[in-house]
Amino acid sequence: MRGRWRGVKYDFDWSVLWSGESGGWLLQGILTTLEISALAWLLAVALGILSGAMRTVPFAPLRAIATFYVEFFRNVPILVWMFFWYFGVPPLLPHAIRDWLFNHGAEFWAGMFALGVYHGARMSEVIRSGIQSIPKTQFEASMAMGLTVWQAYWLVIVPVALRLIVPPATNESLNLLKNSSVALTISVAELTFQTRQIETYTAKAIEALTAGTLIYLVLCVSIAIIMARIERRFAIPGLIARVGAG
Amino acid sequence: MKRMLAGLLSLAMVLSLSAPAFAETTLEKINRTGVLTIGTRTGSPPFAFVNKQNEWVGFSIDLVEQAIAPAISKKLGKPVKVEKKESTPATRIPLLASNAVDLIAGTMTDTRPRRESVDFTLTFFVTGAQFLVKKGSPIKGIQNIAGKRIAAQQGSTNERIIRERVPTAQLRVFPDQPGAFQALAQGQVDAYTNDGVQLAGLIAKAPNPADWHIVGDFYSYEPYGMAMRKNESDFRNLANNGLMEAIESGKYFELYDKWFGPKGEVPYPLTTENKRFMELQVVPK
Repeated sequence: MRGRWRGVKYDFDWSVLWSGESGGWLLQGILTTLEISALAWLLAVALGILSGAMRTVPFAPLRAIATFYVEFFRNVPILVWMFFWYFGVPPLLPHAIRDWLFNHGAEFWAGMFALGVYHGARMSEVIRSGIQSIPKTQFEASMAMGLTVWQAYWLVIVPVALRLIVPPATNESLNLLKNSSVALTISVAELTFQTRQIETYTAKAIEALTAGTLIYLVLCVSIAIIMARIERRFAIPGLIARVGAG
Repeated sequence: MKRMLAGLLSLAMVLSLSAPAFAETTLEKINRTGVLTIGTRTGSPPFAFVNKQNEWVGFSIDLVEQAIAPAISKKLGKPVKVEKKESTPATRIPLLASNAVDLIAGTMTDTRPRRESVDFTLTFFVTGAQFLVKKGSPIKGIQNIAGKRIAAQQGSTNERIIRERVPTAQLRVFPDQPGAFQALAQGQVDAYTNDGVQLAGLIAKAPNPADWHIVGDFYSYEPYGMAMRKNESDFRNLANNGLMEAIESGKYFELYDKWFGPKGEVPYPLTTENKRFMELQVVPK
């Protein structure tokens, strides 16, 4: 297909996306992106719940630790964290472990930690806002029922907060997935890397970029749909006014 | 309803008219604006880089400013200003296609697949892929990289050759030179492969140049050309004429010496073979 679009002169050839090795590369890229994002997401959620809850407890040292974690990790660009985990951490490890890691995907694990720890700090704020939106009386009622602080959090506050924060948490999860593309700077062969790879081999940059864009779109929309279903599935009837979530 | 439709239609008309009714050629664009916009690198010494005085300079940029721009300016009968924009291997073809730049003047290897998307000037520099290793490394060339961790730069032709010729090598592909070099310095990889002249550029900039060695014969052929939009023979001829005149007049070799000579940014002597190759590209007047 020969195209002129608003004065842009470029020969489109969409077959580069599936001919040769391209199809396999794209598939591999999608898998790596999903793999690194899923692992990082688990880490981010775990760190987020822990530090988000810690920031609201009535015990100052715990709050201080959590605040330090959040402010330190969310206020440095993700790219810097990628370099930190890939270039900065290995020299601190014993020689044998380091060598083993270098031969077994050190870049993948560095990227996973960078993403997980960074987004954990951001997730923490989401969770804190959820917890703080719960009336103080619920906490007081739990105490009055004879629960310990830990039990009040684990059985009442956190489960309710998690339901409240599904929309912002979805937002954060989508950001995490898209930010996984930054891992290509430390040689993780994820989706964006593979679209560039196709560009390298075929010199068809616009086709490759378009494919990458559409794949990210499909992945993100799918996640958004799944999260919307989760939101409906776990909603507590009568808890808050729900608009449009029939 | 009818009025709304009419309104929409006229809006669509206005929008389509505001875009150029027919595509302008590169030469017409330069004639209208008086500017030749090039896409070039910021970190590829000595071809195109930002120097210690914070100036954006280099061999490729000099060739455009001192050989190609004057040829265009002579043809159009008016001064032509050269404007620089950053381009990377991933962005250079889209930049050309979208008219954001008119010429890619950096370190782009002329290849057959690339010629399906863009046109190239004649070859302005010849090099080939080699390996950069720490002093004392057992790697002596492509013959002994099997099983080793090798860093390469994405968008380079040599990464592809390694994949095909030594599939057992563990390739780690980085988007840029600094990342790959850092990985080599820390031992994440055993060697870093790229065009020999790029490696020489890295060593020249490194804190301890003596710690590094470039090893192996050229295992790829990397002829650098400048890329432009396809099917613009008038513009291409002007660019080529500018380069040919520079080779003929000796200007090219002066510039070569300025950047690659013993006192240059990256010492990389011109072989007699390559000198002859450059001269043979000049067609008669």
